[in-house]
Order: sequence, then structure tokens, then C-alpha cells
Amino acid sequence: MKYIPIYLIFIPIIASMIIYLLNNKYVNYLVFLSQGVITYFSIKYFSLNNHFLENNILNLGGWERAIGISLKNDRLSMAFIFLSIFIWWVILLYSWNNRKGDFKFLFFLLFLEGAFLGLLQTNDLFNLFIFIEITTIISTILIIYKKDGYSVKSGLYYLLFNSTGMIFYLLGLILVYTVTGTLNMDIAKERIELLNNTLIIKLAFVFIMASIGVKSAFFPVYNWLPKAHGAAPASISALLSGLLIKSGIYAYIRLDYIFNINDLNNLFFILGMLTAISGIIFALSQKDIKQILAFHTISQIGIILMGLSSYEAKANIGGLLHVFNHALFKSLLFLGSGIIINHYNTRKITEIRGVFKRLPVVSVIMIIGMFSITGAPFFNGFVSKTIIKYGIKHNSFHSILFFIINLGTCISFIKFSQIFFGDFKKTDFKKIHSRSSMIILGISCLLMGILYTPIINVFYDIDLSFVNIFSLSALFNYLISLVIGFFIFKFIIDKDFYPMKKIRHLNISFETTNFMLISFIIIMTIVSLR
Amino acid sequence: MKISIILAFITLLIGIYGLIISKNIIKSIICFNISQGAIVLLFLTFSKEYPSSIPIISENSSNMVDPLPQALMLTTIVIGAAITALALMLSIKIFHYYGTLDWKEFIERNG
Repeated sequence: MKYIPIYLIFIPIIASMIIYLLNNKYVNYLVFLSQGVITYFSIKYFSLNNHFLENNILNLGGWERAIGISLKNDRLSMAFIFLSIFIWWVILLYSWNNRKGDFKFLFFLLFLEGAFLGLLQTNDLFNLFIFIEITTIISTILIIYKKDGYSVKSGLYYLLFNSTGMIFYLLGLILVYTVTGTLNMDIAKERIELLNNTLIIKLAFVFIMASIGVKSAFFPVYNWLPKAHGAAPASISALLSGLLIKSGIYAYIRLDYIFNINDLNNLFFILGMLTAISGIIFALSQKDIKQILAFHTISQIGIILMGLSSYEAKANIGGLLHVFNHALFKSLLFLGSGIIINHYNTRKITEIRGVFKRLPVVSVIMIIGMFSITGAPFFNGFVSKTIIKYGIKHNSFHSILFFIINLGTCISFIKFSQIFFGDFKKTDFKKIHSRSSMIILGISCLLMGILYTPIINVFYDIDLSFVNIFSLSALFNYLISLVIGFFIFKFIIDKDFYPMKKIRHLNISFETTNFMLISFIIIMTIVSLR
Repeated sequence: MKISIILAFITLLIGIYGLIISKNIIKSIICFNISQGAIVLLFLTFSKEYPSSIPIISENSSNMVDPLPQALMLTTIVIGAAITALALMLSIKIFHYYGTLDWKEFIERNG
């Protein structure tokens, strides 16, 4: 049982290879076997290690700690592992009806799971690079799976821009290796602490954070995200937006802990705000339902970044919790939009009407997802947003900005909700497939919203008594933002003024994005050396 | 040792400059490769002091080079090759769909 971390990486990869080589529709059921085995192993591993009061490090190959490869598990990585196995179950259930015989799709999906579980467990800076690159390459292949012009274009943009970002990761890695002489995260942390914030360490931190910023879509470098997440098939969009974008956030948490440089925290807080606000502005201008959801991923990433980069410990935990909640409700919304797009055969928000009459179950679950993302009481988004709000409440400017961001989310989802009403005359509807995965996600959103205390206390020991889901003022606050949002939508957004059209047709070319990446690095360098 | 670091750094700057200005997909891929090659050179020269021997343990292996960067950079080269292959395949597809390899022209086209 000591080697469970290795099993978690290699069982999905080996199962995927068997599926690809044998190419038989009965062999494809191996997917569920491998999922079941790794679910069992991860639960067993968690219970064996006394709930990870101490970190669990596994050195591979019999080498000593400083030069060998090692895998490390603590509470953070275990929580991410449970989340990713759960999301993969949901995606498999969703796409099983259509992709039963599609052995290539299942091969890439399972291989991606192995690589992602490796990314979560690695304790080595270079292995982190390798796993990030593997996930980038495989998700490119999954993005272009439909093989039409738009998805190929977005896939190429995604692949080249993310690998350009990872060049700077390597540059930072060179500096870290030259100064500390190791790539092991624990030892690097010890040695970096002794060096006491020298120039080289700061530069290394800037370069590494630039690449992580590209990977997790921070403010100036997120152009690849709406293209890639909008072009992919619905199940893959849910996976990318719910989980794979979090690989960058996970690396951010880990590397921030290793370097422990606080100079950039204020900059990251501002970047988080800009990410959130610009994501909402772009989302309000869009007419394509998948693009709207993709831009909302950016704005939620901004909220997560605001929570994580704050100096308050409570806001940090709120940001971390929002990572998990966002994974649940955003995959739910993407899966639902996939069903709607498939059923109506269009992606325009102006053409889809009367979803509530045609697809009542899907609509109810979509509405649960929308309540969650806007932060209504009794739903999971409320809990994490309240914790972040509580963490930054001493600064009134930040609180007002947070309210504006939440208001923007409300406006955007009021706009989104118009697809439920009205009537639709067309008759050539396609049959809908599996809704069970959506029901699972909707129930888990509600569970996280109501039973948050025991779930969080498994992983973290914090007092959550200030989060009160029955509080009238929170409900009142939410209703106020809904009402204001409705009026702003009715009188400003719905009129579709000229600036909105301009923003909708804004396309940023590849070389401009690279220029933004370089200026992002220069700004971070100036701020950290000041 | 110093001059090789400077040369590798200049190569890196050339690659990044190319990424900022090139408007063609093939040129972008080439510039990506140049900058990744520069990173490989930089890592190898940083960890090497002349004169040194190959990293195989023998009788006079007193000052051998650090083998770890070489192993790491081999992996980086492999990953770079995979990305280049995939990107070139995608650019062929883009040429079939849009009839152009200019970033600006096909990014702005809908569909």
C-alpha cells in the first residue's frame, strides 16, 4: 500500500494504452474498472495515513532525496485528487453514450487523468514542468477533436501560447538550480529560505509566475482560454474549465509556498481584480453561450486569485474552497450547455428559447448551477464567496469591488437565463442523452452549500461560524444585487450599444499576446525589484 | 564559460523577439524552437566548468560535469519535438481550412 501514489498515476495510463491497442468495444469498459480501482486506492490511502497530519513522501528509484524523483502527498494534494477523480467520473458518465466505441477519445481522456494525478503529486520542480506539458499536449488533441476550422485554430493558439509560457518556467528553473543545486521542492524551500530574498531568487520567482500566469489565465495573458474552452466538445470544455485550469492555480499555491516572497502579493491581488472585471465585461458582450461560460471561468479565476494572494489567512482558505466549488458548478454549466446546444443545434443566446418547457430536468439543474455561481445562500458559491468577503472586509475599497464583481456575475447570468423562457417553434430536435452526471453535480453543489462545515473540516481546521446560510442580510444582499442586475441588464446590456459590439469582435493576434506576456514579466520584475 | 552564457542569452532574446514580431505560424513555431534551444544551451553552460570530463565514473573522474542538467535537457528537447510536430500538423490543417498561414487573417475570420 506504500506505492499507491504510483498506482494512481499508472493505472489510468496503462488502462488507456490497453484500450488503444486492443480497440474492442468490450475492452472499453476497462475505463470504469480503472476508475473504480483508483477511487478505492485513493480512499484507502487517505484513511491509512491518519488524515495526513504529516506529509507523506515517497522517494523513487532508491536515490537520495536531493537528486532522486519523489512524490509527496499532503492534505491539499489529496483534496485535489478526490476532486479530479470525481470530475472524471462525471465526464465519463456524461460522454459514455456517445463515445462508447470511440477508443481514441477514451485513450486520451484516461491518459490525461494519469498525467493530471502525477501533476498533483509530484515533489520535483522539473517533473511539474513535464506533467504540465503533457497535459497541455493531450488537451490540445482533445480540443481539436471535432476537427473543424475553429477548433483547430483555437487548439494551435492554445498549444503554442502555453508552451511559450513554459519556456519562462524553464528559465526560472535554471536560476533555481544554479542557486540551490536541487530540484526537490522541500530542499529548495529550505535553501531558498537561507538565501534571504536575493536578486536571482526574485527573478526566478518572476519567470516561474509568468508561466503559471499563462497556464491559469491571469489578466493580460488569458486570450487562449475563451477560444480553447469555447471550441472544445462540451464534455472536454467541462473538464478544461472545471479542472485543468486549476493545474495552474495548484502550481501557484505550491510555488508561492516554496518561494515565500511576499513582494508580489499586492500585484497579484490587483491582477485578480482586473482578471475578474475584464472577464465579466467580455462575458457581458458575448452572444455565444459557451463563450459566455468560458469568460466566466476567467472572472472566477480572478476571484480565486484575489482570495489566494490576500494577506488574510481566511481569504486564502476561501480562495482554495472556491477552486473546488468552481470545479463543480462550472462543469455542471458546461455539461448543461452541451445538452442544450446539441438539442437546439445552435449556440446563439438570441435564438435559444423555451428550454424550461422542453428540458425541465436539465433546466432545474442549470438553475442550481447559476444560483451557485452568483453566490445565492444554500448553494456552494455562497460559502466560499462569503469567506473571501469576510477576509477582505477591513478594506472598504476591496469590498466594494468585490460587490461589483458579484453584481456583474448576476447581470451576466440574468442575461443567460433568458434561454429558459419564451417559446421555440422549430421542430427538428435531437434526442438528448445522459443527464445522470448533471444530477450528480447539482446534488453535490447543494451538499457543498449546506454541509460545508464537516466537508471543510476534513481537510482544514478553521472556525466557520461566521458563515451563516440562514442570515437574512445575506439573502437581502443577494436579492438587491439581482434587482439592480436586472435593471442594468434591461436598460444597458440588452440594448447592445456600440462599445459592446466592439468588444465582442475584439480578436487579439498571437504576436500581440506574446507582447503582453513580455510586458507582464517586465511589470512583475519592476514591482518585485522595487 | 562566460562567453557561451552570453551567446545563449542572445539566442534566447532573438527567439523571444521573433515571437513578438512574426505574423506567420511557421515563423512562430521556428522562433519557439529557437528560444527553447537557447534555454537548453543556457542550462548546459550554466552547470559546466572547463575543462571537465564526461559524467561516467572511471579512474580519473575528478571533475566531471553535473549529469542532472543533461538528463533534464534531453527530456526538454523531446517535449519540444512533440510540440513542434503537433503544431506543424495543426498548421497544415489551418492552411487547408483557411488558405493562409497569417495569424491575423485567420484569427479574425469567424467559423
